[in-house]
Amino acid sequence: MRPRERTGWDSGGPGRPVLASNLKDPAPKRAERPSPSFNDMVSRLAALEQAPIFFSLPDAQLRALARRLRRVKIAAGELIASQGEPGDTIFFIERGRCRVVIEKRPSVVTVALLSEGDFFGESATLRNRPQQASIYAQTECHLLALDRQSLHLVMAGREWETLDELRRFADQRFTLFADTSVQAGWGLLLDEASVIGVYSPKGGSGGTCLSLNLVGALARRYPGEVLLLDLDFPYSHSALLAGLIPTTCLARTASLPEGSFDDVLLSAVLYHAGGPMILPGALRPEEADEVTPELITRAIAVLRKSFRYIVVDLGVTITDATLALFDLTQHVVLVTAPELSAAKSAADAIEILGELGTPHDRLTVVLNHRSIKPAVTRPAVERLLKRPVDIEVAFDGSRPEQAAVDGVILSLTNPKSEVAKGSEALAEWLDSKHGGRREERPRDPAPAVQEELVPAWRAD
Amino acid sequence: MSSRSPAAVLKQADAGIRRAALRRKLQAVTTRMSRTLSVDLDHAGVDVGEVIEQVTEGLPMESAEMQRLVAAFKDSGVADRVIARLSAKSPVQRARSARVIGSLRMYDAVSWLADQLQSRERSVSDAAARALGRIGGAQSANALQLAIQRKGLSRRLVTELARAAPDLYLELALGEQQRPAVRPALAIAAGLRRRHTAVGPLISLLQRGSRRERVISCRALGWIGSQTSIPIIILALEDRDWKIRMSAAKALGALHAHAARHGLKYLQIDRNARVRKAAGQALYQLDHSQVEERPDGA
Repeated sequence: MRPRERTGWDSGGPGRPVLASNLKDPAPKRAERPSPSFNDMVSRLAALEQAPIFFSLPDAQLRALARRLRRVKIAAGELIASQGEPGDTIFFIERGRCRVVIEKRPSVVTVALLSEGDFFGESATLRNRPQQASIYAQTECHLLALDRQSLHLVMAGREWETLDELRRFADQRFTLFADTSVQAGWGLLLDEASVIGVYSPKGGSGGTCLSLNLVGALARRYPGEVLLLDLDFPYSHSALLAGLIPTTCLARTASLPEGSFDDVLLSAVLYHAGGPMILPGALRPEEADEVTPELITRAIAVLRKSFRYIVVDLGVTITDATLALFDLTQHVVLVTAPELSAAKSAADAIEILGELGTPHDRLTVVLNHRSIKPAVTRPAVERLLKRPVDIEVAFDGSRPEQAAVDGVILSLTNPKSEVAKGSEALAEWLDSKHGGRREERPRDPAPAVQEELVPAWRAD
Repeated sequence: MSSRSPAAVLKQADAGIRRAALRRKLQAVTTRMSRTLSVDLDHAGVDVGEVIEQVTEGLPMESAEMQRLVAAFKDSGVADRVIARLSAKSPVQRARSARVIGSLRMYDAVSWLADQLQSRERSVSDAAARALGRIGGAQSANALQLAIQRKGLSRRLVTELARAAPDLYLELALGEQQRPAVRPALAIAAGLRRRHTAVGPLISLLQRGSRRERVISCRALGWIGSQTSIPIIILALEDRDWKIRMSAAKALGALHAHAARHGLKYLQIDRNARVRKAAGQALYQLDHSQVEERPDGA
């Protein structure tokens, strides 16, 4: 057998060494890294070109990088990179979506959602840092992996500028993710309010009733430290349902100058004798347009410093304001009724929330029975939602309607009612998740929950 | 105490002086005091690879010092000579060349090193494997995986595969169709790397693999420290195969899995003596671990 000869350092050439000629039994040559097909190369190049950092790279280098990419297919939900572990590969997303999560006990913060054209892993690869975040495949992902050795083989000595740019990008993204995780967890760090969004995708599921009673149940624990922000547009009636007369609202603070915003906003908050506080979003339907995502972010930033819990009634429709709130919430409570349409809407909402990056453990599903005989059983609802129901509120007869007419909050006035029991269970659940981090402050005992908490204006 | 001849003492001193001189030359290049390099690869007393390793210890591949050194080796033609010596008859020369390539992390010499993995001289194949592990990357990992496929499971090859494999390389390879010896080697390498990304593939190997694969994946999960895999490893305590039971007991001991205490106690009366011993050791580890046991005993 003729010994195999290979010449050259990088490639063939005269005067280059002849190697492995003395091996008596040269190993059968394994097919070298198979050259990618034309179509494969085109798709690899397309993925690389989508990354802005390689935009200025000469074609030859780009092709060399494309040849060295590894194709990686990851199933949905799989871990791609684990926070704190070392890494040596940059992954380009060809298809699919990935969730970037920073875990800082006790909070888990989704700092980014990456999709086609994005890449990750550059910080660990180029800066030799441990992975800053865990990265999970949100859908089935087709990735292209470029390891550190291949990158340096192609770029080192020739493309210092691109490498430096890539390093700068890595630093920039590192800072951004760190800031985002701190901002998202600032309530935890600064002992500020937890924001809890209550969302019912179908009208009539009892979202407003439940959020009002949840605020009541939380306020029994922390009187004066729990706020209900009513963003159930176009009609924000929570204050009226609690027996309070609103005179102003969040929408009317939109045009206020920076200096007076905080004071006016806090003065718009209504105080209920049972402990909860309520801030209406808008008093008239046309005012709902004034409540923009910017106003909500600004208002939440102020309110978080003054309360322990902010419960936001998000209503039925998903607007820009609702989406802004989803970004600011630490927990989302999804209220559904045992009806086919309500359960279907809830299943869609869970999917949307997942796509928005709400982690599973930060979502609570409440099944609220609005009739004595449910149209759909709990197991059927769970099958439809593809997740268990966390809390079930039993049918409470005409009590919720009567309470609305009387302007009382059942969780404060009638703890034996089913709505009050469900709200209490929900408050307990949320408090165990978000309340344990704070030091137990000495607090006044909750006021006796009696019918005399009916506001004075009604007694008149 | 053995007395050495004056000639031997002089030879040793000469080698020491040459090593020091080479070290100074290399340091001059890394600190940019010199750009040229002349290295005598043939001097018997000086292992160039060892000196380079001393000089480049702790330097990352992409550091400027490292790049200067590699450039000086290439410009002076030493790199070509080093590669050429991979085809020398002397196994010592081949092994030393492999060491130089590894210490300089010359990624473009991987295919030449891969050939040396097939060498019949153990010192040469080991040096080549070590060099590939040091260089790392997908191509080095491919070469090492291929060598395992041809030569079977070897400690050196598996260790170096664990060092060389880039992110998700082993995880994907574990899910692909492999020859019988390869998947256990990949599982060990994944365990040695201690990356949590390998937990999923290892769990599926534990559930669906061959006997050998299941034994190894149990241990690998224990090395990684994957708490999520504890319930699945606990199930393996009741396996019919004693090796799997033993491996599961060892893994649970390493994981400080207090939830497995009951199962481990039960294994202390296992019919196999090695399983009993492993269970005893695991319980000892649980008793002496720092993890607080829950009051309910779980």
